[in-house]
Formats: sequence, structure tokens, C-alpha cells
Amino acid sequence: MNPLLTKLTVPVCGATVLALLCGCASSGVKNPSGVPVTHMNADEQGFVAGTGMESQDLVMVTDKMARSILSIPQIANAATPPTVVLSPVDNQTRFPINKEIFLTRIRAQLNSKAHGKVLFLARNQMEELEKERNLKRQGTVTASSDPSVQEFKGADYLLSGSLQGLSTRTKAGTSDYILYDFHLTDFRTGVLVWEDSAEMKKQGLEDAAYR
Amino acid sequence: MKSLWQPTLLAALLIVAGCATTTKHQVALTGDIMVDAPNAIANGPPRDRVLWQYRLAAAAMRQGKFDVAKQNLDDALLTLGGIYGKDADAKKARSYFHAEAKKTFIGEPYERCMAYIYRGIIYWMDGEPDNARACFRSAEFEDSDAEQHQYAGDWVLPDYLDGLITAKLGGDGSDAFKRAQADAKGVRLPPYNLKANAIFFIEFGPGPTKYASGQYEEELRFSTVPSPVTSAELKVDALQIPIAPTDDLAFQATTRGGRMMDHILGNKAVFKSATDTAGNVAIIGGLATALASNNRTAQEVGLGLALAGLVSKVVSAATVPAADTRSWENLPRYLSFVNVPLPPGQHVATIQFLDASGQVHPNLTKTITVNITTTDRDKVVFVSDTSTTPQTL
Repeated sequence: MNPLLTKLTVPVCGATVLALLCGCASSGVKNPSGVPVTHMNADEQGFVAGTGMESQDLVMVTDKMARSILSIPQIANAATPPTVVLSPVDNQTRFPINKEIFLTRIRAQLNSKAHGKVLFLARNQMEELEKERNLKRQGTVTASSDPSVQEFKGADYLLSGSLQGLSTRTKAGTSDYILYDFHLTDFRTGVLVWEDSAEMKKQGLEDAAYR
Repeated sequence: MKSLWQPTLLAALLIVAGCATTTKHQVALTGDIMVDAPNAIANGPPRDRVLWQYRLAAAAMRQGKFDVAKQNLDDALLTLGGIYGKDADAKKARSYFHAEAKKTFIGEPYERCMAYIYRGIIYWMDGEPDNARACFRSAEFEDSDAEQHQYAGDWVLPDYLDGLITAKLGGDGSDAFKRAQADAKGVRLPPYNLKANAIFFIEFGPGPTKYASGQYEEELRFSTVPSPVTSAELKVDALQIPIAPTDDLAFQATTRGGRMMDHILGNKAVFKSATDTAGNVAIIGGLATALASNNRTAQEVGLGLALAGLVSKVVSAATVPAADTRSWENLPRYLSFVNVPLPPGQHVATIQFLDASGQVHPNLTKTITVNITTTDRDKVVFVSDTSTTPQTL
């Protein structure tokens, strides 16, 4: 073979193969075979994350609120366990959420850790409760106590909360600050007997292909 | 010379074979969105999943299938909300040798805004006005990084509804109202009527679509056909209310300004052009040298140069600067809104769509039977000029 041809063959084929590799190779593809289901704790940040509310925020906030409520004198030193009703959280952020989930977790935390120091009223089930009581009053079903006596309890306190947000979006990315505020109001006096808050700030930037 | 052509030919074949894409994920389209979209979502390319979910949601809303719309919007918004950080498909879309359309579709800001607006409407329908407000805020947020500040977050309806819901929930919605009024371009927005419990969302006209221009179709452009409908009118009980558009999607699509991706596509186009030119020069120069010379060495050098030029041409041909023109094309052109107080009971609402001269398009008139069961909760009615009629809500 002509020595010049030999010299040319290598760079020409090399350049062609390089073009092949650059153009067609799917380099940089992470996890091409996918990721199997991974068991994670609810308070861990997963590999799927946005700047909105996530399970780790929910766990952190509700744990803090439950601990905080239990420490106030109105609960800790009450002669008889105070009764509490929950009011839906007021979501003022830009993130639609399941509003029940915060109060559900706070209630569950308090019920499991307060050992009867605080009682929650199932006001969201009033319709069914009244129906059952009426059946007892009519004698349609049996009753273990006199059904004509009013035994539905009134609430001592109202537990409610609000989520407020401050969001910024610039070329540098997206920033979301969320203030989680919860408070306990005395039904009799209207006094806020407890309030606590938690805050979270998250920032992220999407790939330039989306900007 | 034979020995030089053989490996080159082999390498070229490798390129062709290597670049050929398999046809998996191809979905046959029937033209019926309610068939095609679920099929494409289940079997189509994952990168187009959100696009089909958007399309299906819009179509479902017009047929009163709000549960279908809700499910698809929720999934699409999950993708949209979690797009931060590294993304292999987006990286590919930025590379010289892949099209922008390789990236996961989430839409341009006006499309993302509409996804949030539709979801907000459904939240409101479901009696969750604060979550509806969250969606309207996210809609405005998606539009907040326009190149020119005057066009950032300048949708009217999301701000107006943010303020209305805030006021209905006992807060102060005046700031949001002021923002909406400032962006309303001379249209005087009605003050909030907190007793108005029947909320009508009206949309009409064909929305913007995308196309590509430029030598290599690297420039993203938007086109909008003139809308045959420019306003509407609501008749319910003894009320007759004219409805002017509050938002124009064509305006929103075209005022966002340049994208970061436009610069990347511009660079791709320059690279494609430069490698193509270099290839031309090398091929012509090399062949001319080979043909003009009687010297064997000079001929071989000329042919080598021509081959290098060929490689450059191949690289140029493999460069894809084309802009992503996937569009949520069943969006409307105009959005509007009206709310009225209606007592409990059944009410028949008629929505007529009018052309620029005020003439009614009789074939577009919609009849909605609205059942108000309580005045404690808003009744939300969604009507498009492409909605099925009659509907009972």
C-alpha cells in the first residue's frame, strides 16, 4: 500500500468514527435501565425533588408542632384532657396540597405521644355520628347508655394552620420560601394559647433546555 | 486508492447504522384525541407524555370529563414541578447531534400557565378554592422570567382570580386585583362581587401553535390564525352579560422573549453552517487539486483533503439545530371570566360566541344546566367554544 494512503486512512477513519461517537452515542444518560423502587424514610429527601412541599417537610413540621403543643401548660397541666377540633389548613402558597395531611399527622402524633392528655373531636364525621345516635334513640339499634342524653362533646380549642409562601424566579433559578404556621385558639375566650411556626426555603434551576 | 475507500465506506455505513433510530414508541393516530392521547401516553415516547396529557386534559374539560382532566393534569404538573437539576434528555437536546425535541416536553411558559389554570379551575369546582388559588399563583409564576420585565407575570385572569379567592376566603385581595387591572390593557375589570357564587370560565378561538424558521429551522416562532370568535355573551335567568377576553394566549406566547435554548440552537446552527462550509471548501479544493495536478502525491493529498471535507459534511449533516415545535395545539386563543349570584335551584345558562362585528355564531352556542345546591360553595362552570353541548353541572 502507498505509504501516504496508509497515513490518510487512519485520520480519515478516526475522524469518521469520532463523528459517529459524538453524534450517536447517548453519553451522559444516567440510569439508562431505570431505578428500582427504593424504600425511603418519609423524612429523607429523595432523588425526586421539587421546590414545593414534600414528605420530609411534612414530617419535620408536624413533629415540631406536636412536640410544641404538648409542652404548653394548657395541655400539659390540664386537670381534664382538653378537647380539640381541627380546622383545615389555609394554603396561601403557590403549591396545591392535600390540606388534610398536615393536621392528620399532627393529630396522629399527638394521639400516639400524648397518652390521653389531649382529645380530638371527630367533627368531620358528625353526620355519621348523628345518624347512629338517632338510630339508637329510635330503638332501631341497641345502646350501651341512655341515647337521649347529649354526650357529644364541645371543643375547648381549635387547632388551625396556614401555609404562606414567597416565590422568586429569575434566570438564576427558582426559589420558594414557605412559612408553616399553626395555632391553638381557646373557644371560650378567643385567645391564641399557642402558636408555632416552621420555615423552609428551597432553590433549584432547571436545565438550560427548559429555559 | 481502493484501500482508502473501503475503510471510509465501512465507517460511513457505521454512521448510518449507528444513527438509525428504532421505531419503538410509534403510535398510530386516529384523529380522535380521546383515543389518541391515552394511547400515546401509554405507548408513545415518554418525552411526549406531558404534551399528550395537556392535550387530553383540555379535550376532556370541554366534554365535561373533569376527572380525566384532573388525573392527567396532576401527573403532568408533577413532571413540571420536578424538572430541576440534571436531566439526561435535556442534556441530549442541548448537544449538537440531537434535536431540541429530544427533551421531555413541559411546554413553553404560556402552555405551563394554562396547565395550572385548568387545574385551578378543577380545584375550585371541587370546593378547594385555596388550592385553586395556588394554581393561579403558579400560573403567574411560570410567566415570571420573561426577557422584558414588562411582560413578566402579566396574565390578567390568574391575578384577578387570586384576589377574588383571597377576598372570598376573608383576606385582602386588593393587591392581586391591582396587578390584574394594571395588566388588563385598558379593559376595566369588574370589582369583586363576593356574593357571586356561579363562576363561569369562558375560552374561545384557536390558540397559538409553533413553527420553526431560520436556515436550519433553529428559530422558534409562534403562529396564530385570526380567531372567528372575539367575544361571548352569557344569558342566565334574567341576566345578559357581555364577555370580553381578559387574556390573549397569542400575546403571551409571543412576548416571552428569547430563551436560553435559542442561544444554544443558534450555536448549533453556526456549527452546522461552519462544518458544512468547511466541508465544501475541502471537497472542492481537494478534488480540484487532485484533478488539476499530474503529480501523484499532490493527487493523493487532494483526495485526502476531499475525504476530510466529506467527514466535515457528515458532521454538519448530523448536527440538528431544529427548534422544538411540539405544541399544545388545542389551547384556546382567549380566556375570560364572569361570576354572578344565583340562588339554589336549577338554572339554564346560554353562552353565545360572537365574531368581531358582534354577530353570533349560532353553531357555537352552548347550553349548560347549572344546579346550585348551596350558596355556601361556588359553582364553577367551564365553557369553551368547542365544548360539547348541552351539559349539566
